[in-house]
Amino acid sequence: MAVLVDITKCIGCEGCSVACKMYNGLDFKAKPRNIKDGHLELDDNRWTVIQEFHTANDDLRFVKKQCLHCLEPACASACFSKAIQKDEKTGAVVYYPDLCVGCRYCMVACPYSIPKYQWNEQFPQVAKCQMCESRLSKGDAPACVSACTTGALISGDRDELIKKAHEIIASDSRYVNHVYGEHEVGGSEWLYISDVPFEELGFKQVSDTPVTNYSKSYLSKVPFFAAGWALFLAGLTYYNHRVEKNKKNQDDENKDKED
Amino acid sequence: MTNKISRRKFLKVVAGSGVVGFGVMAAGCKGDPSGAQGWIPDQYQGKGDFPVNLKGRVAISQDNPSIERDDEKCILCGQCVEACKNVMGVYGNYPLPLKNEVACVGCGQCTIACPSGAITEKRNIQDVLAAIDDDSKHVVVQTAPATKVSLGEEFGMEPGASVGKKMVGALKEAGFDAVFDTCFSADLTIMEEASEFVHRLTKAKDEIPHLTSCCPGWVKYCEYFYPELMHNLSTCKSPQNMMGATIKSFYAEKKGIKPENIINVSIMPCTAKKFEVGREELQVDDQRDMDYVLTTRELAVLLKHKGIDLNNVAESEYDSVLGESTGAGKIFGATGGVTEAAVRTAYYLATGSNPPADLLSWQPVRGMKAVKEANATIPGVGTVNIAVCHGLENARQLLNGIKEHGSKWQFIEFMACPGGCIGGGGQPKSSEPDIKQKRIAAIYKEDTSSAKRCSHDNTEIQSIYKEFYGKPLSEKAEKYLHTSFVNRHDRLF
Repeated sequence: MAVLVDITKCIGCEGCSVACKMYNGLDFKAKPRNIKDGHLELDDNRWTVIQEFHTANDDLRFVKKQCLHCLEPACASACFSKAIQKDEKTGAVVYYPDLCVGCRYCMVACPYSIPKYQWNEQFPQVAKCQMCESRLSKGDAPACVSACTTGALISGDRDELIKKAHEIIASDSRYVNHVYGEHEVGGSEWLYISDVPFEELGFKQVSDTPVTNYSKSYLSKVPFFAAGWALFLAGLTYYNHRVEKNKKNQDDENKDKED
Repeated sequence: MTNKISRRKFLKVVAGSGVVGFGVMAAGCKGDPSGAQGWIPDQYQGKGDFPVNLKGRVAISQDNPSIERDDEKCILCGQCVEACKNVMGVYGNYPLPLKNEVACVGCGQCTIACPSGAITEKRNIQDVLAAIDDDSKHVVVQTAPATKVSLGEEFGMEPGASVGKKMVGALKEAGFDAVFDTCFSADLTIMEEASEFVHRLTKAKDEIPHLTSCCPGWVKYCEYFYPELMHNLSTCKSPQNMMGATIKSFYAEKKGIKPENIINVSIMPCTAKKFEVGREELQVDDQRDMDYVLTTRELAVLLKHKGIDLNNVAESEYDSVLGESTGAGKIFGATGGVTEAAVRTAYYLATGSNPPADLLSWQPVRGMKAVKEANATIPGVGTVNIAVCHGLENARQLLNGIKEHGSKWQFIEFMACPGGCIGGGGQPKSSEPDIKQKRIAAIYKEDTSSAKRCSHDNTEIQSIYKEFYGKPLSEKAEKYLHTSFVNRHDRLF
């Protein structure tokens, strides 16, 4: 399941971010934790935000920000306790607090700096958009998508949405010929099209190579190495035990002989 | 036995729990994902992207001077979209992508429609309280005609209860230095506007149809969507701002108070007025006509904050020089009222005598019909075709027709809110189905019970022209009582 964001259709009503807070039971009263260059950024009680941009032509554009749900999520690969997993069926990159040890590797790993931390909590969790996995698994749209009245958010099959995005771009010359999220860090479930260059709207320019590719070559060998090492140590222990036991037996025999 | 934990034992526990943990994980036990702990309204349940009648919400920008919203109270019921789109014709009537701004005429109908109180007027109660407490300021307040028949509802009175004089008493008790009647400046507006209309009718025919301009919601709508009709708008300021400009000039001079020490407050049934007072065009000699606008609802909050119960307040009269009013000024608060008042005085201006009885109870322009048509025969001028329209969606359809086929009317009254100001976005909320009709009935009752029914009969109006403005449309009147408009079309299109 994927979502296509058509930035040209957003009027900035923020119905999506309210639907997100409502559905996920987030705290409306929490003060914004991060404001960068006048833009409200995500935090532990804001899994999605609408950012306001005034372009070079003084046009007003609103950009929805949330987890992009990468096809090859760096956060999930960085998590050694498997607290972040990509759901096979829905494509959502889901966080399981019960498995989390709180190391925050995911926050460092994410190329878009999406995962946030509950700094105010005694037992903090990571916080990020779950793409309403519980709704997706029933075949529903994410809460934010269902609250959008202008058609700025559409959910559907990723391949079909990519096709649709290119059709929209081809039919209207005002659009920038780029579907953000189609190839970025290996592609993501969330896709954006816009009539303003993405750099002007605070989108990060990232490589098309999945972050996981950089470490795959050696990290994939870690389990085998760990298992091999354990086996080696076990063998060593067994050997030592045996040597000691034999030595002890011999000592005992010698003692017997002396007696 | 010893209680000491050996190094070996500790390592065994750690390794053991690690193995168990890994086993649990590998077996697929992961607990619940985070989120999904809240609720979402029914129209978003299930297949949440299915089309439904009511959903979403309107966009309100941070710097909107009229309205604001508390997200925590928003339940995404979609009522604001319904009001903005289908009643006011704003939402969805501009193209996407957006241009420079989020379209809002400030009418405040969404604040009335909002069932959870999430959308409210942007409040100025604290500003007004601070001004009252500031001894160096002379705080003047004026009350709009529609507030006199609605403020009582906030104090448990019958819908349509007439509380004008009680309101004056309450405002004086609250500490305002002078209380004036916007009905007075409505009479002033009629003097100017009727003169302007007669002038246009006889000498400036390209400015016909004459479109009224006392409703700030409608004026902004016209600037947004029909800039080609801006030269048809009456150049008269709204009664509120005519009063403001007169207070800071005529009244200040008479009282010997510096205009900069006067704080002009108005009690309005309207949230668009909060936008209007910030207009750059509405200042004379670097003095803003108006400083703060309180809605009827805000006034109720202010009075209750001060411990004043309208039920137990002694009635009082408006202060002199800007306090007398006629029935014509009073009916400004209802749809068709401006037209009826203007025709009464236009008849006088053209003929020199007061209008006949049927023009003093002119039924065709009254009532809740979306577009009302009437014609008035004025000797010397001829027959004038008139239309009265309220609700901006109705206005949109009417104006689109005019754009296509031209106008068969010479005078058109537009009010943004359904029913006119009595149905304004700053009025008390009510569950009474006929609330608008009841308030309208109360307004017309005030008109018929007035000793004077025509604006030109107002003696204070007569003396202000004698002492200060000279005559309608004089140079001084143009300076203080007339304004210009701003083309806002390219901010949306």
